[in-house]
Amino acid sequence: MNPVILTLIQTAVVLALSPFALGCVRLFKARLQGRRGASPFQPYFAFATLLRKEMVISEGVSWVFRLTPYVVLASSLFLALVLPLVVRGGALGSLGDIFVTAGALAVGAIFLVFGGLDTGSAFGGMGSSREMTIASLLEPTIILVFATLALATGSTGLDGIVSAGLSVGSAPFLALTIAALALVALAENARYPADNPATHLELTMVHEAMILEYSGPYLAMLEYASTIKLSAFVLLIANLVFPATLVGTASSPAAVILAVGATLLKLVLGMGALALLESMISKMRFYRMQEYLTGAFFLALSGLALALIQHAV
Amino acid sequence: MNAKELLERLELRGDVENGLISVRAERGVFPSLCTRLADEFALPLSLLFATDDRKGSATYGVHALFSLDASHEWLLVSTMLPQEDPRYESLTKTVMAAHWYERYAMDMFGIVAEGHPDGRRLVHHENVPLGTHPLRKDFAWDTRMDHADVPYPMAHVDGDGIYEIPVGPIHAGIIEPGHFRFNVAGERIITLEGKLFFTHKGVEKLLEGKTPAQALPFIERISGDMAASHALAFCQAVEAASGVSITRRAAQLRMLVHELERVTMHLHDIANMCGNGTGFTVMAAQGFRIKERLARLSDRVFGNRFWRGFVQPGGVAKDLTDAQLKDLRETASAAYADARELIDMGRHLDDLRERLETTGVLKRQAAVAYGALGLPARASGLDRDVRRDHPYAEYGTLPTEVVVETSGDVYARFEMRRRELAVSAGLIARILDSLEPGDISVSCQVKDGSALGAVESWRGELLAFTRFKDGLIDRCVVRDPSFCNWALFGELAPGNIVPDFPLCNKSLNLSYSGTDL
Repeated sequence: MNPVILTLIQTAVVLALSPFALGCVRLFKARLQGRRGASPFQPYFAFATLLRKEMVISEGVSWVFRLTPYVVLASSLFLALVLPLVVRGGALGSLGDIFVTAGALAVGAIFLVFGGLDTGSAFGGMGSSREMTIASLLEPTIILVFATLALATGSTGLDGIVSAGLSVGSAPFLALTIAALALVALAENARYPADNPATHLELTMVHEAMILEYSGPYLAMLEYASTIKLSAFVLLIANLVFPATLVGTASSPAAVILAVGATLLKLVLGMGALALLESMISKMRFYRMQEYLTGAFFLALSGLALALIQHAV
Repeated sequence: MNAKELLERLELRGDVENGLISVRAERGVFPSLCTRLADEFALPLSLLFATDDRKGSATYGVHALFSLDASHEWLLVSTMLPQEDPRYESLTKTVMAAHWYERYAMDMFGIVAEGHPDGRRLVHHENVPLGTHPLRKDFAWDTRMDHADVPYPMAHVDGDGIYEIPVGPIHAGIIEPGHFRFNVAGERIITLEGKLFFTHKGVEKLLEGKTPAQALPFIERISGDMAASHALAFCQAVEAASGVSITRRAAQLRMLVHELERVTMHLHDIANMCGNGTGFTVMAAQGFRIKERLARLSDRVFGNRFWRGFVQPGGVAKDLTDAQLKDLRETASAAYADARELIDMGRHLDDLRERLETTGVLKRQAAVAYGALGLPARASGLDRDVRRDHPYAEYGTLPTEVVVETSGDVYARFEMRRRELAVSAGLIARILDSLEPGDISVSCQVKDGSALGAVESWRGELLAFTRFKDGLIDRCVVRDPSFCNWALFGELAPGNIVPDFPLCNKSLNLSYSGTDL
């Protein structure tokens, strides 16, 4: 099948399913805690409502505030277009270099921080400062995870890494690397134990504090961007564990349909695991975050060390 | 030492009125006498309030109430200030617990506590003109005031990297208004000050000139989650002023509803702290579900969800049928059994406990100095509880165990609630076992004079000082425990990080409405 069509299919699937994935994690959390919960389709209605709403924007903001939603949404779109989430060997797969991907994530994160600072409100600044603290502690782990994957597969592109068909069975260090990536993904997507996406307490927020001043369509864009990012991370981790579920250019239309079904399954299971985790633990004290992130770093470092040993032998 | 011996040692003569021992002091010796009582005899200052007596004696009165816990007595020290010069030397300079009371009297009566270390206005915000003293008798309750712009300065820290976080008065969630000003270095809190009284309702003013029956609906609505406790304190004052004692059955039923209110709110607080405060939302979802069963129980038995409308002067409003008593017993014990399972689960989770321990420590010394009350005070090692120290209702015959913790952190306050729940659940069962048949109400005719009602609400010591004249309320001071505990945040928050503040806040759960009364 044509790589362009494959990329279009992947992007459409990820963009269409990610609000459902968010709805699923909320529903599962509610059910696990003994509440009835809203329908998993609720985020679609929420976005539609936000798009129709008027925006209230502080008079003191600069163009940065207005640019931020576009940049953040673009950085998430980049992930949906480029990473091997539903298919491998897509038309833009060669763009999915680990450094470019990390850069795209960073641009989105930095603009969110700028957007939070731009209004000059105390909460925005507080959220931005916390986001940068966490981001700077996350950075080394992200580099180690990607370095390990690149070393093991001989490719610096995520497409190539997933296509190499590495499995935990043949490369046990992958278990450590993927675990480190999962810890990174939780912090990067403002989930437990780093952040509580459901809280109304401004003083405890990280991600939500930065977007507190946004409303209407801008808020919809920012929230949509974070749902896409969450789905992309879940799918990427699932694909590293089960690389065989991806379809390539040589596949039949039936296989593509199967891969789309598998994507839905991966999202639902991934969100189920996330909901279970978030129902079992408390949010970590902010000044304990370095311990959590150091743990992730050592997991990644151990993965790299084992990969080097396996490589040498 | 009891009050008699104390007064002999001080060479003072006391009068006894409705169980209240009162002493007159000249305004020159008033501060030093109160300081001696607080320092030398270690008596806690429970209340300081003013009265406008210009009509009778051309004076303003300032009254300090001390608690003699060991001998179950109250000692009221009063001084008279001439109306043309209502000044006295500030007590706060030596007894810190007086700090808000004196500022309150300055705003409400224009009585100046000279040398008060913090002479700012307290209740009056920027918009209230200078010289407005609403509790003076010549101030009509429906006076329309001009809009002023008087500065209301708040603590401010200067320095590199210090920044200020204003929070509120409007908050996310459905709590009442209150403004908090944090000065922080990074995440670390340096100072925290609150600005309250945004919805000051003037209840004290509105109560004046009303009969007890007319006043009761106002009293019950001072703080919605403490309706039964407020009604109980007020009714005790009314009964003391009338010189009547209620029947045993009425006392038992009052104690029952009082303890049920405590169980309901302790459950709410545990769910709110552990669930919403730390993000361990299972505790919130399940805890609120259990609390809801008690709210519905109140609805079934009393027709409202807040244990309201039952306690009234002379006894209780209606007798409970056997079916209702059975419902109370069964629902409360099932809810408690459920709650215990949930709380035990929470107690054994390391990550939850880690959030609670060492957070928001209130040192014992600070608790004493600020005159902290109730649960937060006992969590810091202060062994005081009105139910034991000034027994009311049936607490004299069914003594209650006073729970004390010493670490003073959020975990201690969590443990306090867990253990007090067990005590209250036991008390409820014992009241129901020993419930006597009989009348539920006696008639109550108030005589002129003053009386005090004191109860240990689930938040802490709650006082209602009431003075009657011609069968009507001349002055009613309602002192919600929140009034004394709000200032504790300035002490327990610094040193913590900003994201832990909501947890500290929930561990105290103070009433805005009870302070803005």
